[in-house]
Amino acid sequence: MGMTITEKICARAAGRDRVGPGDMIDGKIDKLYIKDLRFSKAEDPKGLYGLFKEILKEMGIHKAWDPDKVIINFDEQPARSTRRAEGQESAKQFSQEHGATIYEGYQGGIGHNVMVEKGHVRPGEFIVGADSHSCTYGALGCFATGIGFTETVGVLATGKIWLKVPPAIYIELAGKRPSWIWGKDIVLRIMAEFGANGAVNKTIEYGGSAVDDISIESRLSMCNMAVESLALNAVFPPDERAIEYVKQVSTATFTPVESDPDAEYESRLRFDLTDMEPFVAAPGVPSNGQPVHEFVGTKINQAFIGTCSNSRIEDLRVAAKILKGKTVHPGVRMIVTPASYGAYFQAREEGLLEIFEKSKALLTASECGICTRPSLATGEVCISSGNRNFPGRMGHRDAQIFLGSPATVAASALAGEIVDPREFLPI
Amino acid sequence: MKKNFKGKVWKFGDCIDSGNIKGVMAGIDPEFHTKVQPGDVIVAGINFGMGSSSEDAPRSLRDAGIAAILAESISNIYLRTLINLGLPAIECPGVSSIVEEGHELEVDLESGRVRNLANGASRTFAPFSDHAIAILEKGGLIPYLKSSLANNREGT
Repeated sequence: MGMTITEKICARAAGRDRVGPGDMIDGKIDKLYIKDLRFSKAEDPKGLYGLFKEILKEMGIHKAWDPDKVIINFDEQPARSTRRAEGQESAKQFSQEHGATIYEGYQGGIGHNVMVEKGHVRPGEFIVGADSHSCTYGALGCFATGIGFTETVGVLATGKIWLKVPPAIYIELAGKRPSWIWGKDIVLRIMAEFGANGAVNKTIEYGGSAVDDISIESRLSMCNMAVESLALNAVFPPDERAIEYVKQVSTATFTPVESDPDAEYESRLRFDLTDMEPFVAAPGVPSNGQPVHEFVGTKINQAFIGTCSNSRIEDLRVAAKILKGKTVHPGVRMIVTPASYGAYFQAREEGLLEIFEKSKALLTASECGICTRPSLATGEVCISSGNRNFPGRMGHRDAQIFLGSPATVAASALAGEIVDPREFLPI
Repeated sequence: MKKNFKGKVWKFGDCIDSGNIKGVMAGIDPEFHTKVQPGDVIVAGINFGMGSSSEDAPRSLRDAGIAAILAESISNIYLRTLINLGLPAIECPGVSSIVEEGHELEVDLESGRVRNLANGASRTFAPFSDHAIAILEKGGLIPYLKSSLANNREGT
């Protein structure tokens, strides 16, 4: 019997020939991502570095496990609290004393995008990140999942995590993707099919004839949402497109792995993308998705293109295409927060930032921004390209958050209400 | 940590994200921290702890003295984090249908059984791995690492 991509990567990380669902492994980490917030004294009064130092002292050693494999990014710039600023100082100190790579200023942005753009994510790798959306990296054919603060300290000390190998769900993407459909539409449709409890602690593996045509940006967006399906990880096969992308951003060698033809899946689902309608998720949970026509006419106060889910260059291009020469509805605050400074400067070079400014969208620095910081008053309605629409996620508990593709967000910003973006896309 | 314990139940619904668990379930009931007693257990529906990996939420439950979390399903990061903090997090399908708030539950981690002492109804769950038990017995991952790394050092 064959193995899936995830099983093969887990087996290699555990130093075994083979593993199957339910096996407990101690996996050796290829890469650890940490966001600056973890270094602040937010979750633990000692902070990440303080607690780590304490462990080192008790062990009687001075150095972290392989610091070349540790990447830190500042997700909030500038820091908006003293505690965060001190966390960033602590991260720098850690980096100086232990040699970890650190991204800040114009090198940074939203950590998950920085990790990908700077070539730290490669096919076949076993990656963990101190943030729930670390599952994003699976788009490039690796195993990637999020871990908590305490476990991050554990990885710094040992370079390993304990893990139960997950069973896998195979999702076949078939048919011809229409030009108005992006990763966010597809993943919202799949999540709606799963329901709220859909893929709890499982692997989602994408495949099928429609994969070729799905951009890296859209794959990243789809894997980003894996944690919202409660999956442990999601993975795309490392096809030519993925390998080409990684070679562009990294000179390091890597060993892609593919699922065996006789790999075993717990279940299989098939989605035909032909003639698919754009999808939108209603407030509450991201699995509340329905075709956009169900929500057309819903008045909005805020439109947000940002987050580690959807604010990459592909997203900025489509938003600019829709906004070009038009003005955001007077009743709407539209906020555009590029995924990274890489995407920010690329967008500037292409003239996209000027289009946003002229359309009266508020352009912000690249950071997590209002996905993690309150911006919605009681009763306000937001349509967001982000990944979370839980009550209170972006402000007051009684505010409502709809999720959609950047095209749906941009078109709705012009109309002042949720609309079908197809009517706003220039042919 | 006890492998067998009893606790009074506080019951919550489906899909409660970590943002609303933060501050001892403050997003759901701002007064909950004044009601809950050390040794009580939380019973919830599907997807308990979904969302952010921030440890404020699980730490607030540990610091309130909650003895265990039982839910129909628990987000992976949340479940791992609770165990790494020394607090048993148990996925137990059907648990929310056999208890009401205020009932007393008996939990046995090794056999993987939970029993409602008010009506005798019981459910089973996958018993904890030896590794998870070892972490829980030490009171969490950090104390576990400190002792196991110290032991390794003595051995070399």
